[in-house]
Amino acid sequence: MLAAALERIVGVSHVLTRPPALLVYRSDGLPGHRALPSLAVFPGTRDEVIRVMRVLAETGTPFVARGAGTGLSGGALADGVVLLGLHRLKGILALDLDARTATVEPGVVNATLSRAVAPHGLHYAPDPSSQSACTIGGNIAENAGGPHCLKYGVTLDHVVRATVVLPDGEVMTLDRGEGTGYDLLGAFVGSEGCFGVVLDVTVRLTPIPEAVITLLADFTAVRAAADATSRIIAAGILPAALELMDQATIEAVESSVYAAGYPRDAAAVLLAEVDGAVAGLEEDAVAIERLCREAGARAVRVARDATERARLWQGRKKAFGAMGRVAPHLVVQDAVVPRTRLADLLEEIQAIGARHQIRVCNVFHAGDGNLHPNIPYDAEDPEASARVAQAMSEIMHRCIAVGGTITGEHGVGLDKLDYMPSLFSGETLDAMCTLRDVFDPARRANPGKVVPVRSCREWLVAPAARPTAPTPARLEARP
Amino acid sequence: MTHDALVPPAAPCALPGSPLAEARDGLDRCVHCGFCLPACPTYLALEDENDSPRGRLLLMGALLDGTVAPDDPIVGTHLDRCLGCRGCETACPSGVPYGQLLEATRATLATHRPLPRIGRVLLWGFARTWVLRSALVMARVVRDLGIARVLARTLPARIAMPFAMLASTARPSTARPFTARASVATDGVGSRGTASLLTGCVMEGLFTEVNRATERTLTRNGWAMRATAGQHCCGALHAHAGDLEAARTLARANIAAFEASGAETIVLNSAGCGAMCKEYGHLLAADPAWAARASRFAARVRDVSEVLAEAGPVPASTSAAAPLPVAYDAPCHLQHAQRIVDPPLAVLRAASQIQLVPLADSDQCCGSAGIFNLIQPDVATRVLAPKLAQIAASGAQVVATGNPGCLMQIGGGLVLAGSDVTARHPVELLDEAYGAEGRGR
Repeated sequence: MLAAALERIVGVSHVLTRPPALLVYRSDGLPGHRALPSLAVFPGTRDEVIRVMRVLAETGTPFVARGAGTGLSGGALADGVVLLGLHRLKGILALDLDARTATVEPGVVNATLSRAVAPHGLHYAPDPSSQSACTIGGNIAENAGGPHCLKYGVTLDHVVRATVVLPDGEVMTLDRGEGTGYDLLGAFVGSEGCFGVVLDVTVRLTPIPEAVITLLADFTAVRAAADATSRIIAAGILPAALELMDQATIEAVESSVYAAGYPRDAAAVLLAEVDGAVAGLEEDAVAIERLCREAGARAVRVARDATERARLWQGRKKAFGAMGRVAPHLVVQDAVVPRTRLADLLEEIQAIGARHQIRVCNVFHAGDGNLHPNIPYDAEDPEASARVAQAMSEIMHRCIAVGGTITGEHGVGLDKLDYMPSLFSGETLDAMCTLRDVFDPARRANPGKVVPVRSCREWLVAPAARPTAPTPARLEARP
Repeated sequence: MTHDALVPPAAPCALPGSPLAEARDGLDRCVHCGFCLPACPTYLALEDENDSPRGRLLLMGALLDGTVAPDDPIVGTHLDRCLGCRGCETACPSGVPYGQLLEATRATLATHRPLPRIGRVLLWGFARTWVLRSALVMARVVRDLGIARVLARTLPARIAMPFAMLASTARPSTARPFTARASVATDGVGSRGTASLLTGCVMEGLFTEVNRATERTLTRNGWAMRATAGQHCCGALHAHAGDLEAARTLARANIAAFEASGAETIVLNSAGCGAMCKEYGHLLAADPAWAARASRFAARVRDVSEVLAEAGPVPASTSAAAPLPVAYDAPCHLQHAQRIVDPPLAVLRAASQIQLVPLADSDQCCGSAGIFNLIQPDVATRVLAPKLAQIAASGAQVVATGNPGCLMQIGGGLVLAGSDVTARHPVELLDEAYGAEGRGR
């Protein structure tokens, strides 16, 4: 029996089989999607992960890997299959200060890594808003972003090497393939748990900048804040981060333990940060302040010290969680649009919200046009729920129509599956399935995610029906 | 399963009229973001989300909608393992009132299954002043004869901890508990006003000298101290265990006693008791005869570090002695429940003989949690282990913390580990600095 076999590997207390014990594992950070796993298993060592993966392979069992369950796309849901929790693997295995890299296990929390290397003047740059809780393994799966990715790049830009176990139990090391072949690591990062499971990953560490200036500009119109964003980028300044929050978001944050001192009467605030060498930084900050004022900012203030800067950032990063103050349930989206269309789209989003009588709270990475419309609502009101679903769909289709895409950093998971055919042709979706088959020909890893069922699952049932069916290539393990 | 993005309507309430059903609005605030996970000591130690705030809130919701029955073993296992440290509350962006929800849940479950026997005996004793005082006096005898220390060193680790905790409370001084004190006047007004100490049970019984030090320090800082007769246990242990009626009875007695004392400020030096007293308004909100009196009482309650920080406090004159390295460990019920962070540090800075050294993860629970460490010794020990490691790494000779449970949990852990480091209350360190003034210079 599967549970017994897994218990022999990880111990009785790290295998959950009773439905009440599995309740909390039925969703990630987006509890609108729920599915009970058949079983949850939590290996505690690298060796245990490999042995668990081999048992799953031998028994042909589908599984879903999960980190801290803070994802926002329903990507870590295990619908009647095995949930493989990797949060117990939290070792920082090696620190190479000369190469400025750290090798860590997948369950290490993002912020914990930065805290651990801070005494050496370093940090791990990708900073998803959930960084206090989310794990590096989950970050790899989603190719996670964060406010500071505007300047520093996303997770993939900071991963040097990863040792992974493929769904068939084979262990291999992936790197960026510089001069030695394909960039398999590039394919693996962001594969949303469909290609395999990370055993350890070597990430690049970034020096803590010599100086940081954080500005908070406050606007009486959302359009003006969006306009300021475009002006800043157009002026050739590359801020470390450029974040926009509207009034509804400000209100939620200011009512929370993370109150940051954002002006409650502002229609929007823009949180801008520049960092780097001291020389020239002040000029950039002055230019940002001037551009914000030209765009119509009512006031611009500069964080006096590290404490005030931390407060301003805490408010931004905890904004999603603070939405629980507005209504009991929440949906959040993750569309990316051309930055020049931000102002128009924000107005359209508000119009869509007004038409469906729902409240849209915007908090997002303005600098790279990555929108996060949050809609708090009461799921116990079926009529309101239907309006929310309709409005969200309209918003997403508008974003696609202006040349945008459906996810910037949260991943497709389950939540955005239905939008995939609006964005990609059948041939492209087929190609994605082909790539997936290279890593997981049996399609047991995170089944039913990323590529819509009608593309992938039908395909699996009737491979002969496929237009051209190449034999899935197997990867050779590195010595 | 639901694959649509929307949660189906909740089932009708399975526990109508229960304290949990009344607290339901707080439950609705959780959006499942997971930001509470790194703040939860039992999640970090046990590595299962059922032992995290997010998991426990979900179990509370499942109790309410009937998905999980109150007598399902999973409920007891994971809710009993919660320390009630409320570290999740200061991490939660949505402001889930976790502490209130936990108490409501435990009160709801109390009708379905009893506490473990040791818990029932303890709560029975704490509700009866003379039983409690007799027990504490006997404990002092065991401690002062050195029996506790011998047993802590000789018994197997599993059962040695309570004796180690008791041994760690020993102080050189011989102040007698539960007696009238010279430092407490019944008349006169200090420059800052009048104050009365809620002396507490364990504080007065085992930390008598800390209570006297608290009174001396407050007097030195301008408060006229008044004695309050007829005070009882604050009821925190009962409330945390789900016995809200016992907690209310004790609260009413304390409210009446402190109304009679006439002191403007009610001072506590026990973070857990202070948090409870500040919540008397909530505890008695549904009692029309007492609600307003309870709120007035709660508004007068202050932690000793709060009142001292307000006064400065008066710094002790500089000491010629070599500085004593002291690490501050924040009691959960001070930091998370009362949201008091800086005042204890101000108290320590006023003590001239002290050199404050940083303690990593000082915001994490030590595993004491009232009587938790007696009911769930295994979990408490696992939560304590990283704390002891950080203390050792800090280089401190003294760990300062303002709560009897934490003093005994950390102190006991240090005794068992054979460490020379001791756990002390910040106020006794300041009192010592005042006492040393003009001496040895």
